[in-house]
Amino acid sequence: MESLSGLGLSVALALLGIWTMVVRRNLVWKLLGLNVASGGGILFLVALSHRPGVRPPIVGLGPGPAADALPQALVLTAVVIHFATLALALALVILLTEYRHTQDARKLEEGSV
Amino acid sequence: MIAALAGVLAYFALALLGIVSARGRETAVLAVFAGLASLALWLPGFPEGFVGGLPWGIAVAGDLWALAFWSLALFLHAAVILHAWSKDSLRHALITLLVATCLAGSISRDLFNLYVVLELSSLLSVILIAKEGRSAALWAALRYILLAGLGMIFYLFGLGLVYGRTGALAITALSQTEVWDKPLRIGAGLLLAGATVKTGVFLFGLWLPQAHGHAPTEVSVLLSGLVVKLGVLALARLAEAFPLEPVLLALGLLTGFGGVLYALGEKDLKIMLGHHTVSQIGYMLLGLGLSAELGALLYLVAHGLFKGLLFLCAGEAVEAGATRSIPELVGKVPWPAALGLAVGSWAIVGLPPLAGFVAKNYLSLAQPIWAKAFLFLLSVGTAASFAKLLTLFRGQGGGKFGGIMLLAMGVIALGLWGILHNPAVLALQAWVEAVLAVGLGFLTYLLVREKRLPLPQFFLEHALLSVLLATVALSTILLIA
Repeated sequence: MESLSGLGLSVALALLGIWTMVVRRNLVWKLLGLNVASGGGILFLVALSHRPGVRPPIVGLGPGPAADALPQALVLTAVVIHFATLALALALVILLTEYRHTQDARKLEEGSV
Repeated sequence: MIAALAGVLAYFALALLGIVSARGRETAVLAVFAGLASLALWLPGFPEGFVGGLPWGIAVAGDLWALAFWSLALFLHAAVILHAWSKDSLRHALITLLVATCLAGSISRDLFNLYVVLELSSLLSVILIAKEGRSAALWAALRYILLAGLGMIFYLFGLGLVYGRTGALAITALSQTEVWDKPLRIGAGLLLAGATVKTGVFLFGLWLPQAHGHAPTEVSVLLSGLVVKLGVLALARLAEAFPLEPVLLALGLLTGFGGVLYALGEKDLKIMLGHHTVSQIGYMLLGLGLSAELGALLYLVAHGLFKGLLFLCAGEAVEAGATRSIPELVGKVPWPAALGLAVGSWAIVGLPPLAGFVAKNYLSLAQPIWAKAFLFLLSVGTAASFAKLLTLFRGQGGGKFGGIMLLAMGVIALGLWGILHNPAVLALQAWVEAVLAVGLGFLTYLLVREKRLPLPQFFLEHALLSVLLATVALSTILLIA
């Protein structure tokens, strides 16, 4: 049940983020949406590795079965990648704002076509 | 395996050294030599091994795809270094890093490792596109990062579903599992969607024409010649792990004709070439879908060479003419670029005896008649679109040959090698078909030249929405098929 709610939450987060990316015209909002959706993807992997009654996969945390460690290891890499993506995208938004004095996606698009 | 890994590591290390030491040019040259040495050591391939040991190691193998990919990557990198020698050191170092990423990706046979490599290549491409600093390039880079980010979220979900069902991430292990139930189908669909966004398939990767068109010359050469092929490689790996052939066939037709439709009316030289990259990916996907793996692979290499050549010459022409519009460029193209454009166009429309002709024939060899008909139509469309470049083949004044010469020789050499290697290509029918396709294409051009097709414009929201809808459609198709 816990695991199921984790999976449901991760899908909900991803949908919320994607929704924000599509409907918001402001670039910073779009990036926030991307980040929330990425969070959903990460939570999905973590929730998958969870089974009822298991302990976290850390050595020395007591007896009993541990959760699958591999998805959690993958998540670490994914978090770093998402951080780098967000940082780079924000830098681009700053540069664009300096050049064009707007963060409205539609206005930026119409100007550059 | 050790040799290949050492080669990749040396490439990465030299790229980083180039960034910190501000001697990017020299380290780039060293990296190419290190790559060549490594390639010579692991030739003609190595069996699958696990970096870090079983059971959690990352699967790598030196198969034919890796071999072809390495050769293409090193050749293109050498051409770019030669041509862009005077550019700043940091750019050379970043390009080396990008090539290193592609080399690493080509030997990887692990879904998560492919994810990391695809993301890293996106980030580096974005930096290289935006580094020029013009606002159109910045906007194209931002579109790229948002769309690729969305695609990679789907990929992550798909990865989770696949791992949850099978407990495996290695391609070989996945291809051996008997499971093909609903969660796994959706997972495969999401993985496929993520990789197609990165590859730039029509309706999925609507970032591609702008990003490739607005990137600096040598960067668009590498983006179109190499980075897009990394996506194709990921798709090939996915097709190996899951039964995806019919879907890839459909995607190939979609992107083949979608790209050509947009290219037909495009007046901006570099963006038109970007649309053609979208269309040419169709050939590779058709090859994968028709199980003509060798044809797809040969097309990948051939396209890397002639599209690299075209982008290099287009970049030179745009810089010399100070305009991007094809009609305004007439009479302003320097001779080397004009000749290169002619050779590249000759190859891309599939006229014998160049690389495009040979690759197209390898693809259509032993295919059913309907597949041949589609390939023929695609050639007609490509020829119709490239007919508008005819006026640019007349050069004006001198320019530098450098990388143009190298790439043109590569295109010609691959064509001659293919013809000598497979006598079936020499059949009169193949030559007649190729000339006929180009002739028909030229006629089509004369007919539709004055008309502008009322094609919808894809703004960022539309592109994002299109990725979303296309992903849902793809997963649904896989689910019910």
